[in-house]
Parts: sequence; structure tokens; C-alpha cells
Amino acid sequence: MKTTQAALGGFLALAFAVTSAYAAGPTDPQIAAIVVTANQVDIDAGKLALTKASSPDVKKFAQLMITDHTGVNKSATELVTKLHVTPESNPTSQSLQKGGDENLANLKKLSGKAFDKAYVDHEVAYHQAVLDAVDTTLIPSAQNAELKALLVKVRPAFVAHLDHAKKLQGELGK
Amino acid sequence: MVSLTLAGAAASTGETKSKPKTYVISMQIVGFDPPELSVKPGDRVTWENKDLFPHTATADDKAFDSKSIAPTAKWTWVAGKPGTHTYVCSFHPNMKGTIKVQ
Repeated sequence: MKTTQAALGGFLALAFAVTSAYAAGPTDPQIAAIVVTANQVDIDAGKLALTKASSPDVKKFAQLMITDHTGVNKSATELVTKLHVTPESNPTSQSLQKGGDENLANLKKLSGKAFDKAYVDHEVAYHQAVLDAVDTTLIPSAQNAELKALLVKVRPAFVAHLDHAKKLQGELGK
Repeated sequence: MVSLTLAGAAASTGETKSKPKTYVISMQIVGFDPPELSVKPGDRVTWENKDLFPHTATADDKAFDSKSIAPTAKWTWVAGKPGTHTYVCSFHPNMKGTIKVQ
């Protein structure tokens, strides 16, 4: 519970950072860094879960996160390379990375069912937070049409992952 | 010889058997498009992955299973005997579709 509260506190901070850090919204290079970091953080958590989770369904979900977010990052990297945009570190990407590092540190201390629950709880909160950021800040702020289109294209993946994680959360709670 | 005769007879009456058709279903995480499709035995159904990550077309009754289709890749199944096949993406259970072979 404490972990969940800490995680949610972090996400509230993230939401605040996303909405308030930019007077005119993040620039495209900043959005690129946010997208790449958001995906990488979830890939890293998935890799840990693949080795530590005990439930086969949680492991399957972790593999899906690795595969899907790797695919998104491949496309994002190809696009920014094509557009000659260099991802620029910013308060939101830094907050995402910090939250991801803290999550990994917390998860490494856990095992068995406690690990599964903490990982899945975090995945629910994380996908919700990223989805909110995509909707309220990233899509509205993106200037380049192709970058905006990429964000629009990947948005449903976050929704599907969120639903999947919530379903797992319900099953683990039984 | 028999088939030649039949073919000739059909051609002369204009009742040639329709050629198998090819249908395309696009795969995206929001779902299969179209989600429902009616085909005839022998028709070809091609799934095209238009997403940034892999999907599958996996029939609940095991009539077909594409296994992992990479982004931008395609997979084709030739419809067999009549029946209704519900299917999913085995990676993304929210993706559901139905093929009716009539």
C-alpha cells in the first residue's frame, strides 16, 4: 500500500510537471525525449518482471510490454532521425526516468506475489499517467504533423495496455 | 475429361463458378478492420499488420493461427469448409474478429 501511494504520489508529480513545466507546451525535441523515455522505462520494468514475476500471466504481460514499447521506440527513433530532431532532455523526461529508476529499485526488493502485485499496480498507474500526458500535453503540443500522427497512432496501445493491466490487477487481487 | 466437359458446359451457359476472392483485414491495436467478414470456401483472407508491433490472427477453434505477424508484414489463410470462426490477437486480447465461411 505504501508502495502504491508512493508511486501514485510520483505520478501526481509527473502530471503536475507535464502540465506546468511548459508555458507554451513542450517543444518537439522535448516531446521526442518524453516518448523515448516513457517507452524505455516500461521496457526496463518489463525486463525485470520477465525474470522475477511468478505468475505466467504477469510474465506474458511483461513480454508484451517489452515487445510493444520496443516497436514504438523503433518507430519514434526512425521518425526523429528522419526529421533531424535531436531528443532534448526536459523536466518531464527526467521525472519519468527518476520514477522508473525508483520503481525498479522498489521492485528489486520484492519477490513472489508481492512482486507481481507491485509490478502490475505500477503498470496501471504508469499507463494512466502517460495516457493523460499524451492527451493533455503531448498531442496538443506537437508541432510536426508526423510526430503528432505517431502520438495519435500509439495512443490506443496505451489504452489497451492499461485495460490489460487493470484486468491482471483484478485477477491478482482475487 | 469429366471436368473439362463440365467446365465447357458451365461456360456455355454463363454459370461459371466464381473465382476465389481475396479479402484484406487490417490489424491495429484498436481492432481488426473489418471486424467481421463473410467469405466463401477457397477465398483468401490476408491480414496486414499496420501497427508498430506484432499481432496475430488466432482462431478460437484452431482453424487458423498466423503466429506473430511483424509490423508491415502480411499473412494469408485460405478459407476451408463453411463455419464461423471467432478469432483474437493472442498478444492483445482486446482485438477480436469473426470470419464466416458460407
